Amino acid sequence: MLVCSPPIKLKKKKKRSPLAPHRTVRTVSTHCGTMFRAVFRLSATGARSLARSRPCYSAPLASRCYSHGKVETDEEFDARWVTYFSKPDIDAWELRKGMNTLIGYDLVPEAKILDSALRACRRLNDLASAIRILEAVKDKAGPHKDIYPYLIQELKPTLSELGISTPEELGIDKL
Amino acid sequence: MAHQAHAYHMVDPSPWPLTGAVAALLMTSGLAIWFHFHSTTLMGLGMALLLLTMYQWWRDIIREGTFQGHHTPPVQKGLRYGMILFITSEVFFFLGFFWAFYHSSLAPTPELGGCWPPTGITPLDPFEVPLLNTAVLLASGVTVTWAHHSIMEGERKQAIQSLALTILLGFYFTFLQAMEYYEAPFTIADGVYGATFFVATGFHGLHVIIGSTFLAICLLRQIQYHFTSEHHFGFEAAAWYWHFVDVVWLFLYISIYWWGS
Repeated sequence: MLVCSPPIKLKKKKKRSPLAPHRTVRTVSTHCGTMFRAVFRLSATGARSLARSRPCYSAPLASRCYSHGKVETDEEFDARWVTYFSKPDIDAWELRKGMNTLIGYDLVPEAKILDSALRACRRLNDLASAIRILEAVKDKAGPHKDIYPYLIQELKPTLSELGISTPEELGIDKL
Repeated sequence: MAHQAHAYHMVDPSPWPLTGAVAALLMTSGLAIWFHFHSTTLMGLGMALLLLTMYQWWRDIIREGTFQGHHTPPVQKGLRYGMILFITSEVFFFLGFFWAFYHSSLAPTPELGGCWPPTGITPLDPFEVPLLNTAVLLASGVTVTWAHHSIMEGERKQAIQSLALTILLGFYFTFLQAMEYYEAPFTIADGVYGATFFVATGFHGLHVIIGSTFLAICLLRQIQYHFTSEHHFGFEAAAWYWHFVDVVWLFLYISIYWWGS
């Protein structure tokens, strides 16, 4: 029986100021390519999460904090999402749905997931969504200002290969 | 042959199906005339004919059932099936609009900012008037059940009171919703958000008006002693329709007002 190790704090989704301390987030981060993974927890107002079904391209493993049942590892989570975006004939709706679901989680996605998503954007000729993904990732990092530059650094080869400019390069990062 | 040897109702010839069909023709072609030539005459004529058809057709059904005794148990069973099938078709009607809403909101496009609610849209607070509307409709579900039990128990005065209260609650909902429509910071033209919001809630509001009207007819009939404690299918059909309207609202509230904000 696996129990989620950190105390489960059921929190209402969103409207939290980026300046508010991440009391309920446990982030393990160094600058050397480790996980930027906060503990995923089920939103108290389940309506939003329940409406976002699991990406149906892969087996739905529970990554929620139940008192029993399989708990998905971080690697399994990443692999599942990389697979989701790697579907060769992914359609525009699935891309947007996947991104919205992913951004709804209480974590910053790993570079490999974002790489897979950016490549899906390329297959779908959707540059707008590719740049939007970078904006969303920056927002997800919240007060942890070191995460976004790190991810851009990790994704640089892919961004160059696919010809994706960052919001900063385009000057649209300022309001 | 003076008497029938079966319990079914072979309806007398009636002009109303024809007038109803003609009304449908005049309304649809009238719509096209309105769009192209700015005249509402034909459409207005069609609508008038539709109202006359509905009034006379249903009046005749009441005459056949309540006054002529044609609504035997098997006939009533058929009417029940009919109402259930009709409500089922309405469920599918709304299912389409919910599909449109979820298609648009689960995967918002870049034009909307990739987010839901879309950039620039200030949704209504689900815990203000929409929550009151939910309470009003749920309460009306209670009062219509109270009315049903009153009818079954032969409590004439209570039946009239609870049915009247149900209708008042229905009007209150319509009034509140009209206020919300007037005050809303977004319109039907505001992208897919506005479109899905107003089409789904708009059709729901139309069904509330239809349901309230149906209940009002039942109130008039109850006052005029049409219903017995054993036989009051017209009322039951209205109550079923009213519960359906309530359930659709609950889905709208949860999906569009609450989750969608």
